This record gives sequence, C-alpha cells and structure tokens, in this order.
Amino acid sequence: MIQLTGVSKSYGLGKVVQAVSGMNLQIGPAERVAVMGPSGSGKSTLLNLICGLDGPTAGSVKVDGMELSALSDDARTRLRREKIGMIFQTFNLLPTLTALENVAFPLRLQGLAKKDAEPRAASMLVRVGLKDRSSHRPDELSGGERQRVAIARALIFRPLLLLGDEPTGNLDSVSGEEILRLLDGLQHEYASTLLMVTHNSQAAGYCNRIITLHDGRIVKDERFDRAPATGR
Amino acid sequence: MMIPALWQISSRQWRAHRLRVLMTTLGIALGVAVFFAVRTANTALLDSLSLTVERLAGKSTLEVTSGETGFPEEVIDTVRATPGVELAEPVIEVIVHSAFADEGNLLILGVDTTGDQQLRQYEFDRSQTEIADPLTYLAQPNSLLLSRAFAERHGLRIGDRLPIFTAHGRKDFIVQGLFQPVGVGAVFGGNVAVMDVYSAQVVFDRGRSFDRIDLMNSRSVPVDELQRRLCARLPAGLETVRPQMRGQALENAVTAMRLGMLITSFIALLVGVYIIFNSFTIAVNQRWKEIGILRSLGVERRNVYAMFLGEALLMGVIGSISGIAGGFYLAAAASKVMGSIAASVYGVISTAVAPRLHPVTVLTSFALGVAASLIGAWFPARAASCLDPILALHNIESRQPESSLGWKRIAPGSALVLVASLLVHFSPSRVGMTLQLSYAAVILLGLTLLLPMLVQGSARLIHPVMDWAGGAEGGLAVDAMVRSPRRSSATVGALMVGLMFVFSTGAYIQSYKHMIGRWTHRMLNSDLVVATSTLLRSTSYHFSEDMGNRISALPEVKSVENVRFTFIPFQGDSAAVIAIEMDGFLARASDAIEGGSSRHVRELLPRGEGVLVSNNFSARWRCRVGGRVRLNAPTGVLDLPILGIVEDYRSDKGSIFMDRALYKKFWKDDAVDFVDVNLKPGEDATLVKRKIERLTSGSEHALVYTNAELRIWIGSLVDQFFLLNYMQLVVAVVVAVVGIVNTLIVSVMERSREFAIVRAVGGYCSQIRKMVLLEAVAISIVGVMVGALAAVFNIQFMSRTVSTVVAGYEVPFYFPWLLVLAALPAVAAVSLLAAWLPALRAMRMSVIEAIGYE
Ligand SMILES: Nc1ncnc2c1ncn2[C@@H]1O[C@H](COP(=O)(O)OP(=O)(O)OP(=O)(O)O)[C@@H](O)[C@H]1O
Ligand SMILES: [Mg+2]
Repeated sequence: MIQLTGVSKSYGLGKVVQAVSGMNLQIGPAERVAVMGPSGSGKSTLLNLICGLDGPTAGSVKVDGMELSALSDDARTRLRREKIGMIFQTFNLLPTLTALENVAFPLRLQGLAKKDAEPRAASMLVRVGLKDRSSHRPDELSGGERQRVAIARALIFRPLLLLGDEPTGNLDSVSGEEILRLLDGLQHEYASTLLMVTHNSQAAGYCNRIITLHDGRIVKDERFDRAPATGR
Repeated sequence: MMIPALWQISSRQWRAHRLRVLMTTLGIALGVAVFFAVRTANTALLDSLSLTVERLAGKSTLEVTSGETGFPEEVIDTVRATPGVELAEPVIEVIVHSAFADEGNLLILGVDTTGDQQLRQYEFDRSQTEIADPLTYLAQPNSLLLSRAFAERHGLRIGDRLPIFTAHGRKDFIVQGLFQPVGVGAVFGGNVAVMDVYSAQVVFDRGRSFDRIDLMNSRSVPVDELQRRLCARLPAGLETVRPQMRGQALENAVTAMRLGMLITSFIALLVGVYIIFNSFTIAVNQRWKEIGILRSLGVERRNVYAMFLGEALLMGVIGSISGIAGGFYLAAAASKVMGSIAASVYGVISTAVAPRLHPVTVLTSFALGVAASLIGAWFPARAASCLDPILALHNIESRQPESSLGWKRIAPGSALVLVASLLVHFSPSRVGMTLQLSYAAVILLGLTLLLPMLVQGSARLIHPVMDWAGGAEGGLAVDAMVRSPRRSSATVGALMVGLMFVFSTGAYIQSYKHMIGRWTHRMLNSDLVVATSTLLRSTSYHFSEDMGNRISALPEVKSVENVRFTFIPFQGDSAAVIAIEMDGFLARASDAIEGGSSRHVRELLPRGEGVLVSNNFSARWRCRVGGRVRLNAPTGVLDLPILGIVEDYRSDKGSIFMDRALYKKFWKDDAVDFVDVNLKPGEDATLVKRKIERLTSGSEHALVYTNAELRIWIGSLVDQFFLLNYMQLVVAVVVAVVGIVNTLIVSVMERSREFAIVRAVGGYCSQIRKMVLLEAVAISIVGVMVGALAAVFNIQFMSRTVSTVVAGYEVPFYFPWLLVLAALPAVAAVSLLAAWLPALRAMRMSVIEAIGYE
C-alpha cells in the first residue's frame, strides 16, 4: 500500500533541518499503523510526504503502487481526492459550509451532484452520531463534534488510505476514546489502511503496528496481533 | 472548467463578505461607466458631425474649396463649363455673433436663391406667410430666412429685425421667412439662417469671392471622373473633394479631444483594476486556510485558480452590465459637454444627436470591464493557487508569509520602466499614437510591479516622521507597511494612477502656460492689439485696412501692422498663415527669430522672397531654415525659402509668416484680423485704447487690448483650450477618490478580526482607532510620493509625445511641486474619512463575534 525507500526530507538552505532521513517503510493493505515519537521527530512530515502534499528531498514514495514523484501535481491531487482521506488535529473543516455540506464535499469534488452526494453524507453523519447537527456550521459545533464531521468527511468516499495527524490531540480523553472507537469501526468496515500520528498510547492501542520515530529515523517498529475494535 | 462544488464555496464567501463584493463590483462598474459614456459621447459627436455635413451638403457630390480664404467667383463659370457637372451652386458660410447676449453663434449660409433648392432641403413654415417661395424674396439685401427654433427663442416674427455684427459693424437684418427644423434647419441646434450669396459678399466684406462651390455630377459621369476633370481644370490652390472629406476634416479637428477623453476613461478602468486587485488580495489572505483545506481534499491548483478567476469573472460581468447601464445616462451629459467644447474651442459645428446604444461600444465596454476584473484578480488568484497547503493545514495562527520582494519583481519592473522611458525619449512620433500610448501603459505596468518595493521604501522614509508625530501607534502603523507592503499596495496603486494623472496634467498645463507667457512676451509685444473676436479670431468677421489707416492717423501712434490670420490647404492638411507687415514686425520682434542670418531675414522677408515658419510647423513638416515651402494659392503656386523659425502657438497645425503684400497679391484678400498698434514713447496705452474704441464704436466690432490685457486674454484662451483637461482632472480626482475610499474601506473592514485579537489581548479601542487612522495618513503620504514619482515619467511622456500629437511641438518638462504639496492634505483628509467609518464599525463589533471560528 505504502512503500518508502531511502526517503529523506530536509528543510532550509543554510542551517539544514533533517526532518526525515533515509527512511525505509512498507505498509500493507488494511494495516493499522500508529506513528509515535517526540515532538519534532518528523511525524507530520512523514504524513505530508505520503499524501503528496510535500515531496521528498531524496528517495522514493510509492502509494498504491504509484511513484509519487513521477506524478504531476494534478495527478497527486487527484490521488488525494480519490484514495486518501485525511484527518487533522485542528479539524480543518470548511468554515462557510454546514456539517452536511462539509461531509458531502469530497463526493461533489468527484463529480457527484448535490442531490446524490448529500443523502450519502447525511447517512454518514448519522453513523458518526451527528444526526441533528447536520445544518450547523463548524463554528457552531464543539471540538469533538467537529472532529466527527472531519472523520465523516475523510471516510465518505471509502478511501484506500486514511491518514490522521493527531486526530484526538485536541480532545479530552473521553471524547478522544469515542472518536477512536468510531474511527476503528469505520476503518475496519471499509478496509482502509490507517496511518495515524499520535502521542497517546490509548490511541496506539487501536493499532496493530506502532512505529516510533526519533530525529527523522525509525527507531522502533513493533507489530501486535490485535483484533480490531476490541482495544488491548 | 471550474468544479461546480467550488461555486458553493464562492457563493458562501460572497454572502459572508457582501459589502466587499458590492464595493468591488461598483469599482468595476464605475470604470466601465466612464469608458462607455465617453465612447458613446464620442460616437454621438462623430455622428453629429457627419449628420451636419450631410445636411449642409444636401445632394451635392463634390465641393470646391480653398482653405478658409475663399476664391474668386469666376471659378464657378469654369466649374459649370466642365462636362459632367449637372449643377453647381456657390456658398458662403459664416458664423456670426448675433446681438442677443445670451445666444451662441449663428451659422449664416449664403446661397444662390434660384438654384439652391435643387441641392439642399428647406422646409418653410407656411403658417405665417402667404409667400409661396420665400427663397426668391431673398435677393433684397439685408434680408434672411431664419430657423423657427431661433426665431421662437427671441420672439421674432416675419418682418422683424435681427441685429448681427458684420464687417461694417452692427447691422439689422429683416426676417423674410422661417424654416422648419428639418434638413438645413436642424443643423447647429437650429442656429441657422440663410441669405442671398451676393448680399453675403457685400455684408461680410468678401469682395467678389465664394467660400465654396457645391456641385452634383450628371448621371453619365462618375464622381471620381468628374473630380479628376475638375482638378485638372482648376488652379492649384483649389481643392475638389467629396463632402464626406469635410466630415473627415472636422473629425480630425476634434481628434485630440476624443483621444483625451478616451485616455481619461482608461484611467478610470485602471483604477478599477486596482480595486479588484485589492479585494482579491484581501480575499486570498482571508481564505488562506480554506485554500489549504481544498488542496488537501484533492482540489488541483488550477481549480483554485479557476475559483478565484471565476469569482472575478462574475464580478466583472455584473459590474460591466451595471456600468453600461449607468454609463448610458452619463453619456448624455458627456456628449453635451463634448459638443460645446467642439464648438467653442475647435469651432466645429455639430447638431445635437441623442446618444445611441451602439452594439460595438456595448461589447467593447463589457469586454474591457471583464478583462479589467480578470487582470486585477490574476495575481491574487495565482498567489492563491501557489499557496503552500501544509502551512495552512498544520497551524492555526500562522499566515502565509509575504513572499520577499525579490528580484523576480524588481528586475522586470525596473526593466519595463526603463525601456519604456527610453522609448518615450527616443522613438519618433511617426510610430503612431497607439504605440506611443502603450509606452505609458508599460511604464505603469512596471511601476505596478515595483509597487510593494516603492511602498516599503517610502514607508521607511517616512518612519521617523510618523514616529515623531504619531507616537508608538504611528511607528506601528508604518511598521505594518514596511512588513507587509502588499496589503497597502492596491490603495497606493489606485492613488498612484489617479494622482499621476492629476499631477502630470497639472504640470502640462503649467508648463504650457509658461511657454505661452514667453511667447507673448517675445512675439506679441506691441502696445495695443485690436482684435475681431474674443476667440483669438473670427472666421467670418474681419476688419478692413481702412480701420488700420484711421488708427495710424492718431497722433499718439507710431506705427500699425495689419495682420491677416487664416488657414490654407497644405500638403493634404492645412496650415495657418500669418500675413503681417514685416517692417513693423521686424522692428519689434526680430530677436524672436531663430536660425538663419538676420541680414537675410531683414532683406528678403519684407520683399516677399521668403517666409518664417513656426517651431511647431518646422517640427510637424520636418523642415529647417534653408528649406523651402510650396504653397498653393488660388492664383498660382508659391515656392519660397524658409528664412527663420519663430515661436508661435496660434495653431496646432503650425504657422507660416509672410509679408502682407505677398499674401494680398496671391490670395486676393485684404481682410484684417488683428491690428498691432505701436505707440510713440511716453504715450499712455490705456488712453489710446479709449480713443481707438471711440473711433471704431458703431462701425466695427473691435476689441482693443493693451499689452497687459492681451496677456490676460491669451491666458483665458489657454484656459478655454484646457477646459477639456480641467474636466479630465476632475474625472481623475473623482476616480482617485473612489479608488482610495473603496480600497481603504474594504481593507479596514476586513481587518475586524485582527482588531478583535488585539482587543482580546488588551488593546484599547482608542489605540486601534489611532493606528488605523495613522496608517491611512501614512498610506496617503506614500501614495502621494509614489504618484509624484509616476508623474515624473508621465510628464516626460506628455511633454514629449502627447504634446507633439496634440499641439505639434514639445513642451518643456516642469514638475508641479505646489500641486503635489497641496495634494498631501487633501488626500490625507479623504483617506482619514474613508478609514474612519469602517474602523468605527469594527470597534462596535463584539470581540467574540469578530474572532469567530478558528
Ligand atoms: N516548513 C518547514 N520549514 C522548516 N523546518 C520545518 C518545516 N516543517 C517542519 N520543519 C522541521 O522539521 C522537523 C520535523 O517536523 P514535524 O512537523 O514533522 O514534527 P512532528 O514530529 O510532527 O512534531 P509535533 O509532534 O510537534 O507535531 C522539525 O524540527 C521542524 O522544525
Ligand atoms: Mg506534527
């Protein structure tokens, strides 16, 4: 699903920061991977490289068998649109759209008409437990509710790959737990590959593989055999 | 090509920022309205010129003329004897002042009463008269036919008297009949009268000459063929042309005016571009995060681009349509103004034509409005599509840092300015006006690229002053400009364009006046001047030499010079002729003559063996001292050497100075337009002026000016000439004000959130207000500075290029310091006002509401 070979990413010209250096990583279909590590260890950079928002300084990134650097910017964008769902720590909902419209938006980008996209979005909102909030705009929702909208938006088109950058980082532990359970259930149902950056071991507990980064390198790569949606 | 889903985003944004969208659309609408109005008025003026020519020409297919000087009446026999001429009718055309104070000029058409009805359309008013055909009764001198409109305005009835100034002073004419406002009667707003051509010769002192012969070809001979035949038969000084050519000549006369108006309207459109640019820069800044999210969700760069351009397109379409609607109403006013300028400044008669909706004008205006909108949104939209989504996605507060003001902008910007200035300086005028105008456009483009740098530089310059005058907030306000110069670039840009136009027009007028002052001092230095008209000269009313003789008989007078000032055809165009008694002229103004040996001038000029030409004539026709000019006079061809160059600004066509005796001999014309009077030493000019006025009162319509009065008079003529430029100034000021008010209101309004954050962390409203206002002041100072810089380039352009096109000569470079200084407080006041209202509004908003989501 994801294949990184000798990937490095450095920032700056004079004082170079090696955010990711010489990384090799292979992630198979339907794997659930947690990426952990101290602040500044290169976790977000790794996600950016995988979703094609950023390009590596060296090495190759393959997603779903496609070499990203060989694709045009448009093709990489299309890849995101069709195959990658993203969830951010800061939600990143479109502020002018309602919850329903936000969730429907990826479908509409894929060319679905409003009248086809919105019923599907509505049922997705039901699944994340936001049935009566569908006409609210993001600024009228709580943090946890916003994150559920974000999850609904990321999963609405059944992406092959689900990327999360600290999806529960902004939430208290109870709602964090709820979100994780939701994510876990949906991921299992859609058989998406999950790659999730997290600081907390509770979140990592939902995954069957934990990668630990330090200074842009993989220092630990552990696999667990865990049934989905059960927790530890 | 834009994804439908993005329209949803756009429409939500528009709803959330209604006021900004409205202001931006209005900015485009204003530019389009001005452009549309000017174009429509231009077309209406041209329509009216050709309509006038058409009505006056009637059915004639060819005309024989000889400049303004007229030609001997025997010519008509030659014309009538030419095979292929069906009908040939003589015409004298005069424009006179009636004695009615509130009435403008009256066009008098002298025609042959027997034949003319076959050529021209007259509809007589039969309600008041039993006479079957009033034309036949015109043979009595002093009678004329009047348009009903004119007669009704003054309560004149058939048999009443109409007082008019003629060569022999005020004279009463008897109204023999009235005609309806159709055909000839509808020309010139109805200010038309018809009289017998032979009476006109006497009354207007034309001797035995005609101004024109209108003729019709017989069916068997085509017009071209007849034209060739007539050219071959008639003397060289006579021209045979189609009546439409006269329309063309009239069009040429008003070209400068039409061009000037068009440039003004482009300025309005340009300010519209800055308004759009401002609005979209702000929008991109605000929607920065949204753009990042869209990119992460799989929206391609080009679709982000398309989204913003799509919005600009929609605003452009709405703005253009409303602009065209508004411009149609403006056109009526513009066309009235242009018609009256055409009449008063260029002496061109027109017939009022209501502005019409021309499809071409509608389409061009629409296209330009949409284009302006797209151009304004181009850079912001591109910036939006190139934003780094990662920064937007992983941070809450950080904003896209302004890309540095690197060489990518400065190098092409400076190169454009430099290259275009060199072109202005070195390229010959024959490359044509369109190309030359593009130089000015390129300079503006270059300056626009340099704007952020200019803003930053000027802000640094005024930093100490603002710090000192405005305290901490003053320093902060300027700091903001230094740090993010692009935020205020559009406001400064709008100011730059408007002020550049104001400054350079002001400078042009100033330096022109200065030049005229020097000319008056060197050339028009006789003690008194007697003139026929307040408009420098009259084409219809002249003095006789007898008047000069009577003045010269006064004991206080040392000498007089009779001057004829008229126009002759020259190399397919025309040239002014100033025929003057050279002995007197050389005695007082010989040091004004440049080039050539003064001995040569003294010997040959009074003998009629050479001419002087004006500086603009020499520039226009590329001739120097030692060259020759060939003049076609009605009695033969003159080929004379150029003995010297003199400064003269009486005509933009250029003037030829020759001895009066020579002119009289070849043009058979002894009319006098000015009498220059030189007094004996110690005589009081004012007293002599009274004497001359007494001498001429009753018999002549003579205006006597002392030298001091002459300067004031010429000054007022120049002002009248610049009436159009003053109008352009007003439009430019309005446009600049709209530009700055629009951009400032939008900018301040859209910073509500920023202010709210400052308040949330403990800033006082009064502090924020002070900062906003001080920033507005700083922006106006910077705007005036940048505008002055742009003006330097434009003055260069106007004094070199525009003036050679409009007036035929270069005008010295002059920088309008006073105007620039005066603009400072005015601009600052306007921007304070523009910033004050939205700042108040922003302060009233609750902090939470303003901070809102994220
Ligand atoms: N745009 C950038 N320019 C320069 N350096 C950057 C940039 N983005 C990230 N870095 C640097 O790269 C390194 C890795 O950053 P990254 O955001 O991947 O860390 P992270 O593991 O996600 O940390 P956190 O847990 O705090 O989010 C850091 O040292 C950071 O300073
Ligand atoms: Mg991170």
